Amino acid sequence: MPPAIIAQSLSKTFRVKVRDPGLAGAVRALVRPRYRAVQAVREVSFEIVPGEIVAFLGPNGAGKTTTLKMLAGLLYPTSGQVRVAGFEPWSGGAAFKRRIALVLGNRQQLVWDLPAEETFLLNRAIYDIAERDFRERLAELVDLLGLAAVVDKPVRQLSLGERMKCELAAALLHRPPILFLDEPTLGLDVSAQDAIRRFLGAYRDRHGAAILLTSHYMQDVTALASRVIMINRGRLLYDGALDALVARIAPTKRLELVLGGPVRQESLAAFGTVHSFRFPNAVLDVPRETAAATSARLLAGLPVADLSIADPPIEEVIRLAFAEGGESE
Amino acid sequence: MSAAAAWARRYGALIRNAWLIDLQYRASILLWVLWGVTEPAIALGIWWAIAGAGDVDGYARADFARYFFAMMLVNQLTIAWDSWYLDGWIRNGELNFRLARPLHPAHEATADNIAYKARSGSIIIVVWLVVAAVWPAVRLPFDPARWALTAVAVLFAAGLRFLISFTTGLLAFWTTRATAIMELHAGIAMFLAGRIAPLALLPPPIAHLASVLWFRPMLAFPVEVLTGAVTGSAALLQGFVAQAFWLAVWYGACRLAWQRGLLRYGAVGG
Repeated sequence: MPPAIIAQSLSKTFRVKVRDPGLAGAVRALVRPRYRAVQAVREVSFEIVPGEIVAFLGPNGAGKTTTLKMLAGLLYPTSGQVRVAGFEPWSGGAAFKRRIALVLGNRQQLVWDLPAEETFLLNRAIYDIAERDFRERLAELVDLLGLAAVVDKPVRQLSLGERMKCELAAALLHRPPILFLDEPTLGLDVSAQDAIRRFLGAYRDRHGAAILLTSHYMQDVTALASRVIMINRGRLLYDGALDALVARIAPTKRLELVLGGPVRQESLAAFGTVHSFRFPNAVLDVPRETAAATSARLLAGLPVADLSIADPPIEEVIRLAFAEGGESE
Repeated sequence: MSAAAAWARRYGALIRNAWLIDLQYRASILLWVLWGVTEPAIALGIWWAIAGAGDVDGYARADFARYFFAMMLVNQLTIAWDSWYLDGWIRNGELNFRLARPLHPAHEATADNIAYKARSGSIIIVVWLVVAAVWPAVRLPFDPARWALTAVAVLFAAGLRFLISFTTGLLAFWTTRATAIMELHAGIAMFLAGRIAPLALLPPPIAHLASVLWFRPMLAFPVEVLTGAVTGSAALLQGFVAQAFWLAVWYGACRLAWQRGLLRYGAVGG
């Protein structure tokens, strides 16, 4: 299957005006403006195939949104190549734009004063959607997103979560095979976040869409994305499976024990690094590859009432990964 | 579906949305129309007093009345607010989703203009008809040929003012003062486009400047066609040629500003 998105050595340098503080600085900037080159994205390469959901991770200012905008054709790359749905985004014209959806968290296309269904009708006309297709797709989106009681209310009366759901519906009526989503769950409550995650998963399953989303919520990543791309200061730090990232960054597994009888800390230390110990609870970090065998030995050798094996929290892994990249903010 | 039908449906949907939004802001629409009536009414009041029983350079009271009623209508049919919208789109990031959909933002702006002009123009025509019923001075002779020529001149003027406003709005790619530049232009146009006085009453060098630049083509010329101040095919032709010329110039400026602006948008982010 040919990739839906190909980015090769993608770079973007912005020219930013610099100004000294104070009135004198303002006047000087007016007379002789100075510019500084800011490398927002540096030599980033990746491919995404249809049906893949990829989480795009990085701290604020890492270059995520800039990359999304280049992929969507809003920004011209300074260098590098991009193919999205077979098109060069900035010269792909209407045919390209019909193949993508771009949802930028806080910049919405819904008309504030009108019910969301009016924006849906507008998009039906803009994207030339046949009446029957429109009815079918709208019914599907309303059903998947639970919008039945919402679409006829003015957008200004909707909650943030309802607005984002309507925004997604408006962006997906033309059934694009490629989705660029910038912080789709930002500021939403837990149930709205969950609804949007389930919806995105279902959309991908039904239509084989390729989805690239940025998020600061690790639940978005763990629930949706089998693959993560991490960038920091414009550089690609990691591209691969989430599991492999966890394995690489966190070479240990965490064993949580509930002890059934008295055990000395030294006895526990023989099995791994004691993370914490307060009878009857103990937490051990053990090498990932020997976790299963160590668990068996623990159960056989000590009075263990309960034992569970877990990865370290994903937030911790991501933080470590950025720290390992050497440029964590 | 044919391409023409698809475009008709798009424009229909855009105009419908614009009207639906208008319905949410009935009071502010009323205030805008009131302002559209008040400004020429004040100018008329002043010239009415100055003309007295005689005339000013051939303009008697009834001529001023017809001129400013025609001005009121033509102004509403040609006025364009696009620089304010574009400035907001560019500076607030609302241009992004517009760039990501298969419809050039100029089409949305054009449809908005059609919606606004249809609404405001029809209100002004009703106002004019009501006033004309009781005040013969503002009645126009029944002259379909002149109305047809006026329609063409109004169409050209509306296109010209749209392009001026759109292009000025695009300056927001470079400066935060795009709307201030538009206000400055509006201030100059108050005099040079004939909103304060018929151009024939301005000092000759200034009237000449207004004719050489785009100010007469953008407003005063269609008003003069409607009131019958422009007579003879040579004068009419000259007026239409000037309109076509400035339309072409501003169209070129608009295209250039759009292309360069998008490159710049890409260079500094949005």
